[in-house]
Amino acid sequence: MNKKNIDSIIELSNELRWQIGDDFHDNLTESIYADASEIVKDTVQSDTSNKRFRLDAKIDKIVTSKAFGFPIMFLVLGVVLWITIVGANYPSSLLANVLLDTIHPALKNGAASINMPWWLSGFLIDGVYLAVAWVVAVMLPPMAIFFPMFTLLEDFGYLPRVAFNLDALFKKSGAHGKQALTMSMGFGCNAAGVVATRIIDSPRERLIAIITNNFSLCNGRWPTQILIATIFIGAIVPESLSSVASLLAVIGIAVLGMAFMFTVSWALSKTVLKGEVSTFNLELPPYRPPRFWKTIYTSLIDRTLIVLWRAVVFAAPAGAVIWLISNIYIGNETIAAWAIDSMDGFGFLLGLNGVILLAYIVAIPANEIVIPTILMLTVLVTGTSGGAGAGVMFELDSMNATGDLLRAGGWTLLTAINLMLFSLLHNPCSTTIYTIYKETKSLKWTVFASIMPVILGFVVTFLVAQIWRLIF
Amino acid sequence: MTTYNPISALILFFVIAVLLFVLFRPIKGWFWILKKNFGSNEKTIIEDILKQLYHFENSGNKVDMKTLVQVLGFNHTRVVDAIKKMTINDLIYFESDILKLTDTGREYALRIVRVHRLWERYLADKTGFSRSEWHDRAESMEHVLTHDEAEQLSVRLGNPKFDPHGDPIPTKTGKVAQVNGVELPLLPVNSIGRITHIEDEPEVIYKQIIAEKIHIGSLVRVVENNATRIVFLSEGEEFKLAPIVAANLTVAPIENEVVVEDNIARLSSLDEHETAKIIGISKESRGESRRRLLDLGFVKGANISIDLMNPLGEPHAYLIKGTSIALRKDQAAKILIKRD
Amino acid sequence: METKIKSACETCAHFNAEGLKKLGIHTDDFDFVVALAGNPNTGKSTVFNALTGLRQHTGNWPGKTVTRAEGGFEYNTQKFKLVDLPGTYSLLSTSEDEEAARDFILFGKPNVTVIVADANRLERNLNLVLQILEITDKAVLCLNLMDEAKRNHISIDERTLARDLGIPVVPTSARFNKGIPELIQTISDIANGTIVCKPHRIKSVPDNIDRAVKKLTTEIEKEFPGIPNSRWIAFRLLEGDTQIINALKSGELV
Repeated sequence: MNKKNIDSIIELSNELRWQIGDDFHDNLTESIYADASEIVKDTVQSDTSNKRFRLDAKIDKIVTSKAFGFPIMFLVLGVVLWITIVGANYPSSLLANVLLDTIHPALKNGAASINMPWWLSGFLIDGVYLAVAWVVAVMLPPMAIFFPMFTLLEDFGYLPRVAFNLDALFKKSGAHGKQALTMSMGFGCNAAGVVATRIIDSPRERLIAIITNNFSLCNGRWPTQILIATIFIGAIVPESLSSVASLLAVIGIAVLGMAFMFTVSWALSKTVLKGEVSTFNLELPPYRPPRFWKTIYTSLIDRTLIVLWRAVVFAAPAGAVIWLISNIYIGNETIAAWAIDSMDGFGFLLGLNGVILLAYIVAIPANEIVIPTILMLTVLVTGTSGGAGAGVMFELDSMNATGDLLRAGGWTLLTAINLMLFSLLHNPCSTTIYTIYKETKSLKWTVFASIMPVILGFVVTFLVAQIWRLIF
Repeated sequence: MTTYNPISALILFFVIAVLLFVLFRPIKGWFWILKKNFGSNEKTIIEDILKQLYHFENSGNKVDMKTLVQVLGFNHTRVVDAIKKMTINDLIYFESDILKLTDTGREYALRIVRVHRLWERYLADKTGFSRSEWHDRAESMEHVLTHDEAEQLSVRLGNPKFDPHGDPIPTKTGKVAQVNGVELPLLPVNSIGRITHIEDEPEVIYKQIIAEKIHIGSLVRVVENNATRIVFLSEGEEFKLAPIVAANLTVAPIENEVVVEDNIARLSSLDEHETAKIIGISKESRGESRRRLLDLGFVKGANISIDLMNPLGEPHAYLIKGTSIALRKDQAAKILIKRD
Repeated sequence: METKIKSACETCAHFNAEGLKKLGIHTDDFDFVVALAGNPNTGKSTVFNALTGLRQHTGNWPGKTVTRAEGGFEYNTQKFKLVDLPGTYSLLSTSEDEEAARDFILFGKPNVTVIVADANRLERNLNLVLQILEITDKAVLCLNLMDEAKRNHISIDERTLARDLGIPVVPTSARFNKGIPELIQTISDIANGTIVCKPHRIKSVPDNIDRAVKKLTTEIEKEFPGIPNSRWIAFRLLEGDTQIINALKSGELV
């Protein structure tokens, strides 16, 4: 190989490129398709040469029609969410029973019987094991139900039609219709939603979808929302309306999340992302009957377990940290108490408190453990009885008892509302952050996607707190 | 905590918010303005002067100090200082009142022009910025890119010879290709030409041309040409321009017979149950999005019809080569068709 | 070669073919590398799963497989490593998927490239097929979704197609494992040189481009005698593909 000859070949190509003009790519593609048509003419016979296949066309006419398109969509989404929430209840409480109420005490007893030092069993069993168990119990059932259903719809070919129907809405905020799907996926799990943005092949729109996925309330946050809404919002209306009121509050938060998603998408496409390339296209593939069991299997393996594994990996050290900060003393106080003290002022400005802020910091790995951590820390600072000991996360079986504990910790209706807002608007969990980094391969966008929602959360809770205090 | 009350907290918040806005809002934020003024050091001024002189020289105009200061919009004394320095460094010289480039000066100017035009090419081909932004972005980039970086960029873009306005990009050795063609008003009625250059100055006229959706590389056929207006067809649409505007378009007459289709329409105008053949993709569609359309089969001669309307009116799904592909209205408007 | 590796999945369906063994993801010490290319939505991943016994997720979405999946099978004591490339419409643009697919076929030098096409939309799929045939001459067309095509009353003259393309054509319905044994046999034949392909080269190129391509091709062949894809390199050079230019300079292409 001779370097000089190669250079001259490249030089020649540069010369020729400008002789043949800038239609080269057009011409080449046209010639390939011309050859293709010729070959097809000789070899393919069909009596439906240009018509798309009849059954497909019929289904499409219905699912994209003015009259039925949207109702069908909402119905499908509603059914999927309903099955997920209702269906997850039973296995969730079963898992909690086994992992938290049976295995955990058993492990503790076992540790005591072999004379394991208290700090080691505390660290391993109360810290690491408990955090992992909690994440599994809360996260696994809804994901194991949600993802397979979603995947079935995907395999059937219905989801591209949803993107097609909704694209005009998303276009207005500079996003891609397929973001409707990654957003819905985010209701299951933001990390999975971020991975799902691979279906968006336009760089700008894909980044928008990745950055805004966190505004979909994921299943780690639904329980927080429901619990707090039931305790505090349900309490301010007459008993008969309380469940409706708390349900509406939770839905209101989810809808608010969507509003933020659209607004932030719009702002991003108009500012920081306007230089990214944007190429829209959306293929509507033919419908194919999904193979039920195979789909269930693959979606469990590919989506549920992978996401769960990542969450566990991140939750384990978080559990350790939670136990450590509430058991290591500096002077007379635990690290947790110091941290809570120093953040109380800022927390007050936001209408929250130091406990909540600390819980959100240590629970970055998994939103599932926010409530147990808050309860544990509240017991720790208020010194009330109850709880399972320093650094041992717990939840109470009765909503009333939980409410009483939180009120003893100084919670008001404002704290509850702002906690719900902050649970929607804060940084993505570390699994999601890691996934964003893997998908974008860009530190810049990962940092942006992590910081932006927290700042929004600070601003929103701050404003709500001040206005609330002005009025009441 | 003692001084806290919600009103003062809110006021403090809004003061900070307003301050941040005033400082950092895009383009007009104080921070950016300061940064620009602070950043437009001597190097920038010298390079801008060289570039201006080069352009004046090319258009055959003579320039003295006064016009130069007017054109550049920098502080008078700074320009005078820069010119003094440039004369000493043998970049320019005076011929009585008229400023002229030395050979070294011209070489330097060509390098700046090269970077500017390369960057515009880059913005057009590889990014999503709209074409009204290319020029300003290239203006600031031309002072930043080093010679080597410009070289790498050029290779990455396939060593382009023309920028997206059709202006030649000087080669690294300083050679400048000729734009071939004549001003549009000189193209005889009914003959066909290809637009090879769109002048981007003065800005008023350029903005008007951009608004008209006229694109480099598209074919035009003049149908009327007189002292008050020039009427021509391009990509299925009829344009009426004043001669002074039309003069900013350069077209190369096409000698060999090309068939220019009549009755060209845009795909966005296709109705349900109509069928059509694709004639081509408008030159408005560039870079990655153009390639994507071609890859998907939107090529000359393909049959196309509407497969699905949309409950929200947009996008429509089109049936092309056996597959249903949805395109937004603005994309469909870039595909030229002829109804069957 | 090692003695019988325990198959990763003994439960999956077996084929009639003697000597076939699906290796799942255990692909050490392979004898041949097989690339799996194709348009999105042609059932490419289903073919991959049918060949390897893996259960990679196959979504009804264009552009599903972004990360490269690998698997393997053993046939007549030879081990084949199978690489599932991202589904793309073309190899001429510069999206991430296309680059990944293109790079593997070009630099990974697979012994065989299996191109999966949707029998219902052959014309559209041929766009990619013809491009791949410019890069490699060891390819087989897997005409998938034949069951759907039959339902849609589309019939394809496979012999003429094979003659026109210059490569073997195997009709399959991967969902039902139909045609997979034949596909494996053909892959093995190509890998072992029993079948020699004479792939179709793009014909309808306009004169001015053709002249330029010929000029370049001659120069390239002078420098790299016997290179199989000089014409394709010429296409890419005319397009100004930096990666190919660099590869040419570093000698990676040969």
